Amino acid sequence: MTGPLTKFLLKYPSVLIFLGFLSLFTIFVTIGSEALGYGFISTSMVKILGKTLCFCLVAIAMDLVWGYCGILSLGHFAFFGLGGYMIGMWLMYARTEIIVTEALAQAALPPTPDEISAAVGTQIFGVVGGSEIPAIWSFAHLFWVQIAFVVLVPALLAFVFGWLAFRSRVTGVYLSILTQAMTLALALYLFQNDSGLRGNNGLSGLQNLPGLDDVDQSVISIWFFIASAFALGFGYLIVKLIVESRLGNVIEGIRDDEARVRFLGYNVEAYKLFIFVLTAIIAGIAGALYYPQAGIINPAEVAPIASIYLAVWVAIGGRGRIYGAVIGAAFVSLVSTYFTGGQAPDIPLGFATIKWVDWWTVLLGLSFVIVTLFAPKGIGGLVDLIAREKTK
Amino acid sequence: MKKLLLSSALIAASAGTAMAEIKVGILHSLSGTMAISETTLKDTMLMLIEQQNAKGGLLGEKLVPVVVDPASDWPLFAEKARELLTVHEVDVIFGNWTSVSRKSVLPVIEELNGLLFYPVQYEGEESSKNVFYTGAAPNQQAIPATDYYLEELGVEKFALLGTDYVYPRTTNKILEQYLKDSGIAADDIFVNYTPFGHSDWSKIVADVVALGEDGKKVGVISTINGDANIGFYKELAAAGVSADDIPVVAFSVGEEELAGLDTTNLVGHLAAWNYFQSADAEANTSFIDAWKDTMGAERVTNDPMEAHYIGFNMWVNAATAAGTTDVDAVRDAMYGQEFPNLTGGTAVMLPNHHLAKPVLIGEIQEDGQFDIISQTAEVPGDAWTDFLPESAVLKSDWKELGCGMFNTETNTCVQLKSNY
Amino acid sequence: MYRLLLVLCFFFAHPIFAQSLTEIVEKHQPNILKGSVKTAAPIIADIQAVGTEAATEFLTNWQDKALWFIKETGQIVSVVTDDKKTYQLIDIETGTLVTELAKKDIKQIKPNSGLRKMLGSALVTGKLLSPQKEIRLAGVDALIRDPKASHLDPLRVALEAEADIELKGIMDRAERQLTIQFDDLEVARVAAIESFSNDLSVEARGTLNPLLSNKIMLADLVPEDANIKGPITPGSEALTYEDAFDLLVAAEKATPVPTNAEIASILEANIENDTIAGFALADMSDADTRIKAYLALADAGKALAFDPNATIADLVADHEFIAVYVETSKAVTDAASNALDQINAKVGFSRFIDLALDGVSLASIYFLAAIGLAITFGVMRVINMAHGEFIMMGAYTGFVVQQIIPNYTVSIILAVPLAFAVTFAAGVAMERLVIRHLYHRPLETLLATFGISIALQQIAKNIFGTQARPLTAPGWLDGSLVINEVIQISWIRIAIFVLSLLFLLLLLFILNKTRLGLETRAVTQNPRMAASMGINPDRINMLTFGLGSGIAGIAGVAIGLYAKVTSELGADYIVQSFMTVVVGGVGNIWGTLAGATMIGFLQKGIEWFNPSNTLAAQTYMIIFIIIFIQFRPRGIIALKGRAAGD
Repeated sequence: MTGPLTKFLLKYPSVLIFLGFLSLFTIFVTIGSEALGYGFISTSMVKILGKTLCFCLVAIAMDLVWGYCGILSLGHFAFFGLGGYMIGMWLMYARTEIIVTEALAQAALPPTPDEISAAVGTQIFGVVGGSEIPAIWSFAHLFWVQIAFVVLVPALLAFVFGWLAFRSRVTGVYLSILTQAMTLALALYLFQNDSGLRGNNGLSGLQNLPGLDDVDQSVISIWFFIASAFALGFGYLIVKLIVESRLGNVIEGIRDDEARVRFLGYNVEAYKLFIFVLTAIIAGIAGALYYPQAGIINPAEVAPIASIYLAVWVAIGGRGRIYGAVIGAAFVSLVSTYFTGGQAPDIPLGFATIKWVDWWTVLLGLSFVIVTLFAPKGIGGLVDLIAREKTK
Repeated sequence: MKKLLLSSALIAASAGTAMAEIKVGILHSLSGTMAISETTLKDTMLMLIEQQNAKGGLLGEKLVPVVVDPASDWPLFAEKARELLTVHEVDVIFGNWTSVSRKSVLPVIEELNGLLFYPVQYEGEESSKNVFYTGAAPNQQAIPATDYYLEELGVEKFALLGTDYVYPRTTNKILEQYLKDSGIAADDIFVNYTPFGHSDWSKIVADVVALGEDGKKVGVISTINGDANIGFYKELAAAGVSADDIPVVAFSVGEEELAGLDTTNLVGHLAAWNYFQSADAEANTSFIDAWKDTMGAERVTNDPMEAHYIGFNMWVNAATAAGTTDVDAVRDAMYGQEFPNLTGGTAVMLPNHHLAKPVLIGEIQEDGQFDIISQTAEVPGDAWTDFLPESAVLKSDWKELGCGMFNTETNTCVQLKSNY
Repeated sequence: MYRLLLVLCFFFAHPIFAQSLTEIVEKHQPNILKGSVKTAAPIIADIQAVGTEAATEFLTNWQDKALWFIKETGQIVSVVTDDKKTYQLIDIETGTLVTELAKKDIKQIKPNSGLRKMLGSALVTGKLLSPQKEIRLAGVDALIRDPKASHLDPLRVALEAEADIELKGIMDRAERQLTIQFDDLEVARVAAIESFSNDLSVEARGTLNPLLSNKIMLADLVPEDANIKGPITPGSEALTYEDAFDLLVAAEKATPVPTNAEIASILEANIENDTIAGFALADMSDADTRIKAYLALADAGKALAFDPNATIADLVADHEFIAVYVETSKAVTDAASNALDQINAKVGFSRFIDLALDGVSLASIYFLAAIGLAITFGVMRVINMAHGEFIMMGAYTGFVVQQIIPNYTVSIILAVPLAFAVTFAAGVAMERLVIRHLYHRPLETLLATFGISIALQQIAKNIFGTQARPLTAPGWLDGSLVINEVIQISWIRIAIFVLSLLFLLLLLFILNKTRLGLETRAVTQNPRMAASMGINPDRINMLTFGLGSGIAGIAGVAIGLYAKVTSELGADYIVQSFMTVVVGGVGNIWGTLAGATMIGFLQKGIEWFNPSNTLAAQTYMIIFIIIFIQFRPRGIIALKGRAAGD
């Protein structure tokens, strides 16, 4: 097989290295899992790792839009969350419909479609003080439609927002603040019970796949882990293809000097819009894989702080290099999990005890400052240093 | 990176080996927005476990607390619950505050057949085989408080103010129906929802005052949560609304919340709970003394602490009776367990996993404590409310029927797992 | 001992009355302890019938929570204590000392506020004639809270005798209120009603509105002499089709339409061999088939027939409905309706003004929160995500000062400059250590300051805990400025408004009239040129940043006073503040003012249209801002010329 892809892979061995690592890691975890292997990696660890892979995927998207195209979006978790909501609607509806249909089948009269949908409504919305199914759930029973929504809804939001913003040439910090406002507006909207997406409670029980009650969570978690790994590998490849193409050159040009690229005759707005929408789609897919592993999605997930963390992952990993985003997301989120888990030992200082639970956030915050000040290339910068040493 | 993943995987794996101790999981947020309320409950649990160990532990073994921090992050509650049950292999979990966090852990607890004691007043409409609800259901807090308004204060017009989330939404839905059944017209019920941490209350307070313009006595039923109460009460005081004119009864304001407020302008406003620190009983005095000894003299006790106190002691007694901490055996032993309340009287665990507890109504005093002005007999907690038609037909009985969502019309079990 | 007391009581009891107070109280003892409105009426009547001073004293003590009972015997006594350790128990009848007991042996009787109101109402007559002004005032208050027909005459007597002008005014108003409700003379009532037509108070409306309460009836059923309000068309807000149909059903002029559930239960009852009235049971999953089967059952006389094609609107179309006043006197309802029209016009206008004032107040809070940013972000173009945490630091400074100095007035006066000093220092430190190195990388300032923001927030949590801390306003800021009964604004909000106005002027002065301002503008527009003119840009940047941060600290004290002090206080305002600056137009204090004004009024305006959901107001506001910025990307007040260049 000597297609263009092979050529591309030979030209950029880092992609092969990354994909190789990812495959090995996936195989290792699968072998170690409780479901399909020796069981020395617990199901809860598999879930954590699977979720981390999804974070890596959204971090890649962030790197493309910020590191390569220069748009510091502080709202990409809005797309991540929307992807999760779209798949969550189907998961909840389909599971509830099975339960309700079984229960109603025991009644004396066979149920009418209205009765089924009323019962589903009571079941899903009863816990949040409602009982009717809102209009936005019209397609929730159709798996493929909701899957399409995972891509289309974030894309549409990104398109409308990006079109408005780029057209009126909002750039730099203004754009950052505007994207932040976008995700805040979405969060506030979702927080309302009237949004029809169960308000603050959000959608829960997403880890239970409809019709698969007999399948153990340890197996389901491995499925999702492998799916996430596959999505990450695929996403890595696509983003690498883009940044190494002519398109990639143009967007890096936009990052470095937007006006000059415009004078060269490029339609800067169209390029930016394309990248913005594409990364929104990647984020949506990452979210759709993440939330069934987390089990619950609610509006707090799309609060502005989440998107800022996303930018921080990419900054710490080193932006403008795709593996940097992956390293940053994996490193920061896993280390955070470790320190907030209460497992890290406290440090007694005689007069006071340093509890990691209390001080970890402080340390994390200060490390952003240090990285920004002294290592603007992030952890990825270290790789550069090593590479330079070798070539000397 | 891989090395790190490997090593943490190994840590997780090695921690899984069981030891000859009884582990008690504590799943309360120690950071984030809910830490304000939940840290207190973690400390309560640590105190109770220490007291039990001083009495010789349980079944001859020592109780070991396992504390994790879900950081007020709802998906993290599910992750930590799984970790507690599979990695630490705890025998029981005491935890959660918000409803959404409970909904987050429910699927995990049911999947792994864990045991959770949930200590906070909540909206009901749920029954899980694996959860014991030691806080109040709506009929143990909201309904008696509304009765008090209707019968004692003669309130004819109601303002239901709440934070926009599930507990106020469901409680208000139940109350609206209950008020209509009690002959209050729909026009005389004003409902308003505000975001978490809302601080701009002037217009809402003005709206409530204006409700009195048709000459009916107005009462406020507040399910406003947490910090938002501070701004609300400050605005109420500034507008000169006295408890004699427009009383406010709150379901989420306790001793702890009042500590952040100057209560001189709020004297006479009400709260309904199953417990107040000011309750005059010997058990209460010794509980408060122990708490102040451990935590400091300025600390106060509150209702969810009592719920944990009852829940923990019932669990200890049930495990002793069953002779094991095995979840299924303990669950069977839990039904009918009795334990003295801190307010006097006895709490009983019912087959629907709720407690029978008395309902207390207290008036706020200048010192931030509550003056108890009404105390009912024990009210049995009801998982499914009788005031909404779709819930009235449902019944929870895990002992006889083995079902938490039993439809009494069709005589069938709607589902064995809970709804989340 | 109790027996001995009883004997004593017997001796002291007044011989004329059939039952002494002690006997009555003893008889009602369980219900007095229970203290419920439902059982209190006969007790109060019995005790009042005793008529002695001791009986009145007893009721007063009961109302004031001054009655206790001895746990062992159940005897009810009043109590005096000097040291809260030993309690002297006083006999309710004789007023003599019974004994002394410790607190654990006695228990306070706590009537609820409903019962206290009832007791107050029972004591009104006595209080109105009291020689003390405060007691008379309390009497009128109790009377207004729970007006009774029997109060009218004593009130008129008291009004006649009242010498105090202020109290006479209150009594006069109460008298008119009672006249409207209870007087028999139509002329007197109409006159009283008309006297309220300029009164905007809730009580006035509360007295007049019940006069206009009406019920809707079928036209055929309205009696001859009814006081008719007018015809009502079904399908309007006053009468829905469903309610109209219910009236018809109640008057037996229509048969009820069965609900789907009722249809289903009748069908269920008639299942025979898997068929219902000839229709297969399996087909019952179709709603239309169910109706057909039901109608077939109705034909067979097993159910009540109905027309499935008629809508409920058709069913009520042929009937007329009329609203009838409960009040029988037409003169009274006309007068009340007139008076209310006048009042409501004024109330409507006042509400609008009140809302506008709320908008001004909200705008001033946003302005205060954002004004520091207007300098650091607006003038210096530094994105400081830790701005919110500076606000928080200011609020906590206020809290700490209040812990040390208990006098609220002094502590607030001290807290303001201290908060400025603390956050000024923090701002300068941050500028020197972090921001200075990032002037050419504005986006990265955002990240670094965000790191500082979460670190500061967590440090605050570690030091002060997660609980909200009290920051109490001094007494002279309690309460509200009352312009009329509808337009009120709390003094704290006025103070915040004044404070933000002061800052506006101060900043305008600093930026436009002082050397620092001149140099700041020079450095912002062209640092190199400014440096070559002998200005030290480092120093200017440091001072300007410190100034912006210091103002955030003062804003923190103000915001803490009106809301709450928590570690998340700043985070609540940060996004809003940035938007305020962006919407208003960067680089310009006036722009921030315009932005805050727009956002404040907009939010209140949306709340006005959608009063039951404040969250929606915030969402729509942000969406509006996003769209607004598309059309005016440089904000309301955009800088022109070279100064506008990025």
